[in-house]
Amino acid sequence: MNRLWWVLVLAMAVLSCRGRAVVVGGGLARVRAAGVLRWGGDIQGGEPYVYEDSEHGGRLTGFEVELANALARELGVRAQFVQNDWSALIPTLERGTFDVALNGVEVTPQRVGRVRFTRPYYIFGARLMARRNDPSVQPTLASLRGRRVGTLANRFSYELLRNVAEVVPYEGVEEPYIDLVQGRTDAVLLDDIIAARYGEPKPELRVVGDLADGYYSIALRPADDDLRAALDAALARITASGELERILRGANIFNDRQRRLVTWTDDDQRRMLGTAAAGQRFGWSHVALFGKGALVTLLLSALAMCLAIPLGLGLAVARLYGPPALSRIAGAYVELYRGTPVLLQLYVLYYGLAPIVRLNALSAAVLGLGMNYAAYEAEVYRAGIQAVPRGQMEAALSLGMTTPLALRRVVLPQAFRLALPSVTNDFIALLKDSSLVSVITVVELTKQMTITAVDIRGWGLPGALCALMYFTMSYPLSLLAQRLEARLARS
Amino acid sequence: MIEVHELRKVYGDRTILDGITASFARGQVVALVGPSGGGKSTLLRCLNGLESFDGGAVTVGGDRLVPGGAKANRAALHRVRQRVGMVFQQWNLFAHRTALGNVIEAPVHVKRVPLAEATERGKALLARVGLSHREGAYPHEMSGGEQQRVAIARALAMDPEALLLDEPTSALDPERVGEVLDVLGALAADGLTMLVVTHEMRFARDVSHRTLVLHGGRIIEDGPSREVIDHPKHERTRAFLGLDRR
Ligand SMILES: Nc1ncnc2c1ncn2[C@@H]1O[C@H](COP(=O)(O)OP(=O)(O)OP(=O)(O)O)[C@@H](O)[C@H]1O
Ligand SMILES: [Mg+2]
Repeated sequence: MNRLWWVLVLAMAVLSCRGRAVVVGGGLARVRAAGVLRWGGDIQGGEPYVYEDSEHGGRLTGFEVELANALARELGVRAQFVQNDWSALIPTLERGTFDVALNGVEVTPQRVGRVRFTRPYYIFGARLMARRNDPSVQPTLASLRGRRVGTLANRFSYELLRNVAEVVPYEGVEEPYIDLVQGRTDAVLLDDIIAARYGEPKPELRVVGDLADGYYSIALRPADDDLRAALDAALARITASGELERILRGANIFNDRQRRLVTWTDDDQRRMLGTAAAGQRFGWSHVALFGKGALVTLLLSALAMCLAIPLGLGLAVARLYGPPALSRIAGAYVELYRGTPVLLQLYVLYYGLAPIVRLNALSAAVLGLGMNYAAYEAEVYRAGIQAVPRGQMEAALSLGMTTPLALRRVVLPQAFRLALPSVTNDFIALLKDSSLVSVITVVELTKQMTITAVDIRGWGLPGALCALMYFTMSYPLSLLAQRLEARLARS
Repeated sequence: MIEVHELRKVYGDRTILDGITASFARGQVVALVGPSGGGKSTLLRCLNGLESFDGGAVTVGGDRLVPGGAKANRAALHRVRQRVGMVFQQWNLFAHRTALGNVIEAPVHVKRVPLAEATERGKALLARVGLSHREGAYPHEMSGGEQQRVAIARALAMDPEALLLDEPTSALDPERVGEVLDVLGALAADGLTMLVVTHEMRFARDVSHRTLVLHGGRIIEDGPSREVIDHPKHERTRAFLGLDRR
């Protein structure tokens, strides 16, 4: 026990050392010496930002690729793309993996306090979309009060919607519009580039209006301020020369808003950056949110297990005692669900089947996790049933019991006792796997942690608290499993 | 009340039971003896349908078991098992139930006897095998002899017309054998039909009315117990008994 506490304390200490820039000062000299400007982005953001052009052998394409090349040329170096998950662009920038983050990084107060921004290279509108047949959505934030509105977590639009609407956070750009068509949300608020590509082509949807202007800028580490100044100058040159406009036109995203880029002044820059938000302090309100997230995690896992246990039992019995056809189906179920990622299963259940059955996110999460874990439970019970001596079944049959009755009264109770430690361990695993359901917009403990980490500009405390909460939930279960195992070993 | 006609049982290319024909009358206590591997257990398991067979038939009361296993015998199997109880060499008590729980399980859930009535009956049966004081004990808390007596009480709780016992004493410590044989002797005196596979020649000779000798899947000797054991006709029986006495 004592040792465990030490491990925990150590983990918290490591976590609370905020990832700071490893490299200090002289960013420009460093880039020049290396001869490359390393820029971080995520090709999963897709067209028109940075993507692999399937028609040209997967060549890196997109208006940001051209922008990076132009800027590198201005600095007299070569541009080198570094692939990185979008949601982790800023922490990875801070670690020093690349020189700049250049991939639709929006200027938000949270980020202003954390990184340096160049002047913008694109001005976007936060575009509100709704269903064509739903006139109740108006082009004002106020009209969204209390409605379900989809967006991407921690984006500019997310900040606008907070404290106004019931925000449904997505992790991909296509899913918010799919769900809007399905009626799972009332509106979607996202950057106009995203809306134009993924929302507007859908005939069921309409553009309600643009609610606010936002900016894409290049983000750098605070220590690299000279590199920021050099990039600002380079940007000013390619903006003035008309090269930026040509790049944007090439991607079909140039509009009147972009004319402001040409006349951009220091005052504009100051206004854009605003007063650097002082960064929220990690406080009781966050702890309360974490508590709510933990509750969702616990509820979700418990309900999923309540589904997995009987379903798994049915599968195991069908596999061992069912008629051949049923036995094969049960076997196929187990192999299919164990052999494919849960993430994919959740995706298919929530988005793939939406035209047929429209589950809400929590039901889909419970069903998806439950059906997945049922496959594992089935194997646990199968092992348990096979570990009950044959004589038990024979004794029951010889007393005139039918096979189902013998199973129910004699074999399964004993098999269940044998399986109980494994079932408990599976529940612990499920607690942690449940964090995957954030892909279908359920905000559970881990998702809450990532959202809060952005708000307070640090992963340390939220990470430690999140770990502590998972630990608090799983450790007693782990003790229980140990005790059950010990009891089993004794009898 | 049990008729066996030309019973044949094959495992792969080995014939285990090679045309067994015999009939057992109500109230008769029959000892089934013979060398190891002679097919005694297999015959017993065929009689209450735990084992399917390949030829012939078994008739218990009005119910007839034929080759083809559970599929072919669904209805009959169920009734036969209620009429014929089985006691196993390894007892096979339900590990998650107490002694009393073992005894009342089948009456309550198969015969739907009310719990109170079944409990009262169960206690009486445990008393009959001398285990009143062990009602609440779990199998792993009991000695082999105690477990075997509970197994007998459990079989009796279904009011079987006959009881099949497969080497009821062979897995017991020598000092525990007596307590089980005493119970069987008392049951025989009460007129219960019993078919007992045994290596206890004393029991076969003094308690059973009739002894069958099974060898190589055939009945090689069948007659009143004293006659078969004291004056065996078949040379293999003599060899077998000689070995046993040594
Ligand atoms: N499931 C099985 N598969 C193949 N052969 C089997 C199987 N069960 C029993 N046998 C064989 O059938 C023969 C008869 O077995 P059985 O158990 O009936 O003999 P037994 O007379 O009861 O012997 P013992 O006195 O050792 O208990 C043996 O040769 C045994 O190897
Ligand atoms: Mg045997």
